Amino acid sequence: MIANSLGIMAPILIAALGGLISERAGVLNISLEGLMLTGAFAAVVVTAATGSIVLGLLTGVLAGALLAFMFSIISIDFGSNIFITGLGINLLATGGIPFISNQMFGTKGVLRFADMTLLPRVVFPFDFRIPLLHDLLFGHQIGVYLGIALTGLVWLGLYRTSFGLRIRSVGANPEALRLRGLSPERYRRIAIILSGIGAGLGGGLLALRLGVYLPNITSGRGWIALVAIFLGYRRPVGVLIAAFVFALAETVSMAAQGIVAVPNTVLLSLPYILTVIAMVVYSAARAGGNRRARSPR
Amino acid sequence: MNRSSPRGSLAGIAAALVAAVLVTIVLLVLGSRTPAAAIRSFFWGPFSSTYYFGNMINAFTVLVLTGLGAALAFRAGVFNLGGEGQVYTAAIVTAVAANAAPQLTAAGGVAFALGAGVFAAAVMAGLSGLFRFLWDTDELITSFLIASASIPIIDYMIVGPLNDPASNLLTTPRIPEAFRLLRILPPSRLHIGIVVAVLLAALVFFLLFYTVRGYEWRLTGLNREFARYGGVNTGMYILFPMLISGGLHGVAGAFHVLGTHHAALVGFSGGLGWNGLAVALIGRSHPLGVLPAALVFAYLQTGSRTAILHTEFTIELATIIQAVIFFVITAQYLPQVFPRAARKLALVFGRPRGGAAPAAPEEDGS
Repeated sequence: MIANSLGIMAPILIAALGGLISERAGVLNISLEGLMLTGAFAAVVVTAATGSIVLGLLTGVLAGALLAFMFSIISIDFGSNIFITGLGINLLATGGIPFISNQMFGTKGVLRFADMTLLPRVVFPFDFRIPLLHDLLFGHQIGVYLGIALTGLVWLGLYRTSFGLRIRSVGANPEALRLRGLSPERYRRIAIILSGIGAGLGGGLLALRLGVYLPNITSGRGWIALVAIFLGYRRPVGVLIAAFVFALAETVSMAAQGIVAVPNTVLLSLPYILTVIAMVVYSAARAGGNRRARSPR
Repeated sequence: MNRSSPRGSLAGIAAALVAAVLVTIVLLVLGSRTPAAAIRSFFWGPFSSTYYFGNMINAFTVLVLTGLGAALAFRAGVFNLGGEGQVYTAAIVTAVAANAAPQLTAAGGVAFALGAGVFAAAVMAGLSGLFRFLWDTDELITSFLIASASIPIIDYMIVGPLNDPASNLLTTPRIPEAFRLLRILPPSRLHIGIVVAVLLAALVFFLLFYTVRGYEWRLTGLNREFARYGGVNTGMYILFPMLISGGLHGVAGAFHVLGTHHAALVGFSGGLGWNGLAVALIGRSHPLGVLPAALVFAYLQTGSRTAILHTEFTIELATIIQAVIFFVITAQYLPQVFPRAARKLALVFGRPRGGAAPAAPEEDGS
């Protein structure tokens, strides 16, 4: 169950880490869903054409980055509202992918290719047989390790480099950056492109795990990634935990289908309900803590 | 995160609209095998028959209501991202209420069903406001999550326990005839709800700009800390904006059942919440700005629908066009973008770097 959850977590986590960078730079990127979808499509097509997972994932990353670059041009250079631009990017993905797919393959629907390469499981040269720990650490697909490594990388980047400091100051106080002679727009643009890279990679991993492209394969995972950013209180490790909670909720609701006679569609709402409850309980507890801390003064 | 609502000059809005129309024509020419027919159908289609025209105005009604709901929240600096779920919830509650009390008089039944739907949607959005008020839980996220949770459940209810066995469609049973709102332009679905929507826009305008509470509402939206320093009870302007925003989305959902379809259709609210946000932002979060924004939006929506029905125009192309319209419609610097691009080209072709970008709104970062 944990292993399964980790597999579900990886794409959400990676997309959320990218979104976290742009969120810290003051750009709420609501187009993660569309960026993931684009990454998924590009990754499947190129992996099928070349037989190379690496090339496929790189193309997914590139597609996400390009679309995000377009986002940055529209929101920064055209001065369009970030929210509406994000909605537009999502629409562009939902309309553009079937359009391109129809031109290339004559179908707007499922893309299934013969002898598709699947994401490899990582095999370690060493192993040990402690039951629970073994399942937790070994035998996952590459995305899981990648996601955890990237969490560390994003943390280092955001908190231990001057680049990360600038990204964070763009979000907190862009004028301060401008007074230092640096361009907030430039850092914002880089942050948006990084979010496209994360979402493209996440989408690619999601699709290559299945080996097919389905219309709406992301099915809300981009939105969940966005929520994970806030649920994780805009910190990399928090995002990791939040993405895992989401994945666990999804695993639980899938497992529940076999046990309880709950209709399929209703279970779709379970991850959302669990997240709301987690959020409200967390903030209520935090608010209570603050009140106690403040009261002696 | 930039949470201030955008304002813009009329010239900017006009430039955006012109750009939107131009882009649409270009895409129609590029993407359709019969561009002339598609362009004609897209731009003229909404006026070609009473049916399409009425349905366009009906789409306008819905967009005014959801747009107002979103704009009111923006004005208080509060975000309601759950519009879609609130519209959907109101629709199902209205349908159930109307069918549960067939013995009521026409006016009583409409009031009861409408009230029930609006109440449900208001409570749904109000919950997020309450959480924010009590524990500072981000209402942007919770409103979206609560709405997202409600949609699959309502889907299930319409397909399952509340399904109309007499219909092939995935819908609830039709409501009693007595409760159906008066149709204005048959055979279209336009109903008298439009009057309510426009009156509500006027009412919101008045309340927001000519009352003390409206002043406090806007002040809180501009600067919550400053408003509190000035003695405004800012907590109230978290709870009420969410309640009223949800309520307005509820009216939209209730009208869907009482006026437009006389039943709740599965998935009908798809995209409605986002479109409401778009209308609010295009209308610069102004109650009267929402009206033209909703009209343009409804026109483009109906245009793409007629083009899909009558030409080889596809739904994908319509979606792409909507995307591009979203890109340009709130653009503030469009008038400057092209001269700036020209200047850059001039630089590339070897002109001296003398008069670099005077008073450009921002330095280009690339």
